[in-house]
Amino acid sequence: MSDAQPTDFDPVEPNTGEGFEPVEVFPESDDFDLRPGADSCYKCSVCDTNCPVAEVDDDFPGPKFQGPEQWRLKQTDDDYEIDDSVMSCSNCMRCDSACPSGVPLSQMHNTARGEYVEEQMDKLSVEYVRNRILSNYRLSASIASKVPRLANFAMNFGPARWVMEKTMGVTSERDFPEFAQQTFREWWAARGGADASRANAVESRERRGEPADADKKVAYFHGCYSNYNTPDVGKAMVHVFEHFGYEVVAPEQKCSGTPMFANGMLDDARRHAEVNVSSMSDLVDQGYDAIASCTSCSMALRQEYPELFDIDGIEKVASNTFEAIEYLRIHEDVKGEIESAEVSGELAQEFAYHAPCHARNQGLERQAVELFRDLDGVGVEDVGDSCSGISGTYGWKEEKYEKSMEIGDEMFEHMEHAEGETGMTECPTCAMQMEHGTGYEIRHPLELVEAAVVE
Amino acid sequence: MASTPHIAVIGGGSTGVGIARDLAMRGLDVTLVEQGNLTHGTTGRMHGLLHSGGRYAVSDQASATECIEENRVLRDIASHCVEMTGGMFVKRPEDSEEYFQEKLQGCKECGIPADVVSGAEARQMEPHLAKDVEKAITVPDGAIDPFRLVVANAASAQEHGARIETHSKVTDLLVEDDEVVGLEVEHASGPGKRVHGTEGGTEEIRADYVVNATGAWAGRIGDMADLDIAVRPSKGVMTIMNIRQVDTVINRCRPKGDADIVVPHETTAILGTTDEEVEDPEDYPEEQWEVDLMIETLSELIPMLEEARTIRSFWGVRPLYEPPDVGSEDPTDITRDFFLLDHDERDDLPGMTSIVGGKFTTYRMMGEQISDHVCGKFGIDAECRTADEPLPGSEDFSVLRDYMDEFGLRSPIGRRSVERLGSRADEVLKTEGPNPTVCECEGVTRAEIQDAISQSGSDLNAVRIRTRASMGNCQGGICTHRMASELHGEYDEGIVREAWDELLQERWKGQRHALWGEQLSQAALNYALHATTQNRDNDPAGGDPVDFAAFDSGVDHTDDSGTADVAADGGKPDGD
Amino acid sequence: MAIESEILVVGGGLAGLSSALAAARDGADVRLVSYKQSTLRQASGLVDLLGYTPDGEGPLTDPYAAMPDLPASHPYRTVGVETVREAMAMFDEVSGYEGGHTDTNALLPTHGGTIKPTARYPRGAAAGLASDDRDTLFVGIESMTDFDAPHVADHLDAAGVPFDVRGETIRFPGDLRADAKVTRYAKLLDTNGEVAVRGRKVPAREALAQRVNPLVEDAERVGFPAILGDDNPGAIRDALGDQMGVDVFEVPMGPPSLPGLRLEDKLFEALDESGASFETGNPIVDFDGEGHVERVFMEKNGARIPLSADQYVLATGGLVGKGVESDRDGVSEPVFDCHVPHSDDRYDWFDTDVFGDHPFAGFGVETDDDLRPLSADGDVEFDNLRAAGSVLGGYDFAAEKSGSGVSIATGYAAGTSAAAEVR
Repeated sequence: MSDAQPTDFDPVEPNTGEGFEPVEVFPESDDFDLRPGADSCYKCSVCDTNCPVAEVDDDFPGPKFQGPEQWRLKQTDDDYEIDDSVMSCSNCMRCDSACPSGVPLSQMHNTARGEYVEEQMDKLSVEYVRNRILSNYRLSASIASKVPRLANFAMNFGPARWVMEKTMGVTSERDFPEFAQQTFREWWAARGGADASRANAVESRERRGEPADADKKVAYFHGCYSNYNTPDVGKAMVHVFEHFGYEVVAPEQKCSGTPMFANGMLDDARRHAEVNVSSMSDLVDQGYDAIASCTSCSMALRQEYPELFDIDGIEKVASNTFEAIEYLRIHEDVKGEIESAEVSGELAQEFAYHAPCHARNQGLERQAVELFRDLDGVGVEDVGDSCSGISGTYGWKEEKYEKSMEIGDEMFEHMEHAEGETGMTECPTCAMQMEHGTGYEIRHPLELVEAAVVE
Repeated sequence: MASTPHIAVIGGGSTGVGIARDLAMRGLDVTLVEQGNLTHGTTGRMHGLLHSGGRYAVSDQASATECIEENRVLRDIASHCVEMTGGMFVKRPEDSEEYFQEKLQGCKECGIPADVVSGAEARQMEPHLAKDVEKAITVPDGAIDPFRLVVANAASAQEHGARIETHSKVTDLLVEDDEVVGLEVEHASGPGKRVHGTEGGTEEIRADYVVNATGAWAGRIGDMADLDIAVRPSKGVMTIMNIRQVDTVINRCRPKGDADIVVPHETTAILGTTDEEVEDPEDYPEEQWEVDLMIETLSELIPMLEEARTIRSFWGVRPLYEPPDVGSEDPTDITRDFFLLDHDERDDLPGMTSIVGGKFTTYRMMGEQISDHVCGKFGIDAECRTADEPLPGSEDFSVLRDYMDEFGLRSPIGRRSVERLGSRADEVLKTEGPNPTVCECEGVTRAEIQDAISQSGSDLNAVRIRTRASMGNCQGGICTHRMASELHGEYDEGIVREAWDELLQERWKGQRHALWGEQLSQAALNYALHATTQNRDNDPAGGDPVDFAAFDSGVDHTDDSGTADVAADGGKPDGD
Repeated sequence: MAIESEILVVGGGLAGLSSALAAARDGADVRLVSYKQSTLRQASGLVDLLGYTPDGEGPLTDPYAAMPDLPASHPYRTVGVETVREAMAMFDEVSGYEGGHTDTNALLPTHGGTIKPTARYPRGAAAGLASDDRDTLFVGIESMTDFDAPHVADHLDAAGVPFDVRGETIRFPGDLRADAKVTRYAKLLDTNGEVAVRGRKVPAREALAQRVNPLVEDAERVGFPAILGDDNPGAIRDALGDQMGVDVFEVPMGPPSLPGLRLEDKLFEALDESGASFETGNPIVDFDGEGHVERVFMEKNGARIPLSADQYVLATGGLVGKGVESDRDGVSEPVFDCHVPHSDDRYDWFDTDVFGDHPFAGFGVETDDDLRPLSADGDVEFDNLRAAGSVLGGYDFAAEKSGSGVSIATGYAAGTSAAAEVR
């Protein structure tokens, strides 16, 4: 539909639906009229069969109602409210990867949720305040990481958690994630930043027989979690990319916005997105591709940003963002290197792998299993296509905790049945849930690639 | 007066039910007969515009003035049928500035509130308007649901004692001693509510006076008594979009022409229309170029229409009439005014008056005038109350909106239901059992379907026009069998099957004009569901007997049941 | 670089899966890419071969016997009856479906209250066969408008089924909301979660059996709408059957279809075991090559990701699966722009009767004997591209009840042929 698209070949515009063009209703606001997206729906209900929430919670009417039906039935006048069940959507985005007809489901949910929070939710309510705090994890984390030991103690201190549950509705069933003693960025700076990375990349290129000045450079969107909680994932990313001859930079960045979308805090998300887009689009102009190790972060940059915001450079960033291993699969013979490698030591074991929901739209749900299929010394077993149930902040809410665990049950069960006693996933919050449900330690596929190919 | 006069009204469109309601409220005995469903004719085939009068403000100021008067009346008495969307006459660069000024001036002369807004302001109100729309005149146009309006009028008439017979076709006028004294009708399924499979039959309905309110069909009724009523039916196409691209009525501000209006109607938008004279109001070509013309021309006003999904198109025939001496060549020149043809004065045949011409928005006023005329015949001096008494469903229901939660329905479904039912929402939606949604596209629940069934017998198309069930984007693909099942409690399977087939066929008819893109995919899915999954195209009930014994009767699994899900032993996987 | 494989299958429905499976089992390195989830989830889960001839003769008892008389352009004629049999054998092996013990079609009750001829049926539907003369009770759920048991029963009775049939409606134990999804019922029964019945917590299977028990009377089998579990349907049927002392079966339903979903899971599992790679979520939008497909491009939010293979299979579906697309001006195949024969006048695309002879139902590509799509001139479009399933034209799957069979047979044939090329 847009002028830029050749009209004779537009069968499959991802996630917007054929002939669909989001239009800003009020040019100065973020309100989108998504009724045209309902044109793509032919009521097959495949989206509903993928909804992990509707499966355990009949108060949630499922994505078909929540998306195309509600948008088509509602009107722009004030009499039409968003049904409050939209707050039960966990934003797993599985409906997006289900719809055979290109209905922009998650965009519809995100927008409806934003409208609900903006117009119908009491800003003084405990729920609002709690959701706002949960979605601004980066802020809490950046404070906590200044004093990681104290934070690790205080955040999981029993009486404090009881108070948090009673006053704020944050479940006391879960342990807060542990903060690393040294953040990824601290490590990165201490290591010499971009200059050190360039030197390492040049060295690898020589070893690989590639020109020293090869145009191989990536900008790492590490996200909050790799920075504050699991810097080992970030380090693995850097090591692996350098091994393949890539210079890595770690540009200025804020939260990807994923937890904010899920809570309808679109204003917060936009503020963060503006920083990320501006920072990444400059680098893309200089020939960098944006790489994320967290599949929710890459999802946000690729899909949610252009669907929800109109920020200069946003499309460019979206089309140049990749998940880390995906990028290597496209540009390098990573599978070949892994097939001829062998892993020994700590990671030479069986893993129970869970594909995060947000990996699905990106077509990555099978990536780890297929990549490591022929890696000696290691076994990676898929624990099935169920949702982990945590969906970022969803499982942290006191009133959602049980549903979250009910959704996760299938995964826990399959993990127990799997041979390995260590879990593996790309998503940090899925990792939390996997650990919470089974007690397993959870690793990231990048760590295994590192163990296999990096000297 | 010796006894109450009995008036037979022919025609169950807006005019007919308007007359029936008016006469019944004035205390007369009324029988209304309609050959199909209520709204079977032109009323059920219009774009649902509640005129502000703006469209006639230059060409026909008398009509324009009537429109704005009736517009105000209907907002009041038919609030549950009306959505005050507002309207705009938009001007593109190539449209005449002179005409724009004439339109503005005309509106003012006719008392139609009209203001000029800039192109930017117009787009602020309607973001999908073309970027080069220069300016617009805003007027109080609205959207009105003709089905609901007619059903409410008929219900009100019944409350006042009228008898309403649908699916009852007039086969003859009874003329005795050179006077019309009644009708002969053929009931499709016996008197009263329509029930499939019930034996019909003919009935003589004797009346003290007959009103012929059959619009484009008036000539046919006239023929039965050798009266020459030269109605000039003119067809117009309307194309229904799947969603509302606009929430305001958008008119093109230019003298006259095809494809110049978009009316937001319930969940959809309706594009209209053409104006072409036809011979026969029931048999005229419905052509591709007409649909293409709607989309292409109106895309000049709203560019996204070019690629948007349409769900069906339909045609209506205007019951235009002009006195024989005028002789307009072009149907667009024929007046939209209405005429009372008293056949006593005109043709020396007392006992009947025909009403021809006119338009939907002024149906009530037409009813009032002809009721005055009929009352005059009998020396009855009863006052018309149709402008003051709200229709059933339009009594004050503003309070009710606040209690929607009690119906336990999701927000937009509850909202839609309450808007359709108006003040009847409470009695219809408060149910004992679960109230699942039957039609998901339009948000119609079981309670509303059951209410409609109680009004309309086994006729699922009558249920459809009352509720909008099966009128959304899947066009009944998902819900026709559900609607049929809702009938089943009340009616036998055979009757249900007939009603079901009829609905399937009716839904297919209009969809044919929208079969490309998404709607063709929808049609293919519907076909797969109805033919492959349900095998309704080869329904053995009513077909040849099946030799069941010739088919697979299965294998015995008594030995291996109980381990059905366990395939870990390397055995045959369970085939679920 | 590009993501490479020997064979790339585009499309993850029944045809694509059959094709990938056949090729992988022949030892080829196969990758299957699919845009979104397939129309299997919309279909009943029954696997039809041929129920009626194109002239409407039927229900056919022996689908294989009728195949040689089909029009020469029919996909069954293209691949031949023997290939259909081989394909069904592969399907039987991986699906565990019933019906393979005979060439004769089975008749199964539909949720529309009719019976339909089909060749393979999930075990969950087996006890419901209409040629089995045991008396039958159908049980519907009050808030599930898709399956009205008394209506279905009366309709089947009118169809002349050789058994006594009744329908009863119950309220599902646990007071689920009226718009609970089928997956909610399935999950509750899968996990046998507890539901509140008159203030007492009872496991869902037990509660359901208790509610139906008083209604069983003389019935020897009880049919439910297809909501009996996603992961453990056999265990659920057994538990219900044991507690009610009858055989329990499911009536296949329209979309969304749990039996279709279970079949999809089963086939993906088999594909995983076969060693093939697959991914879903993003469309193939473009390709390089003239007369020979060099590589294709997957679009991910504006990024174009190249994938290359020696052989390609196009299994993107028909109008419903969007492997065939249309606009006001014409009909097209969007990935490789293969020729789709159709009338220029879109008013010739349909019949005026709702169940008439609809040309749109047969829209799809024409192929040579090796399933390679043909151009308007009758030339092979690409020497290494084969088409399978609903993207093929020349047959009306809905009227013939042949959709699944054609998908499996042509998928198998395309996969086998592609694998032979890379050996």
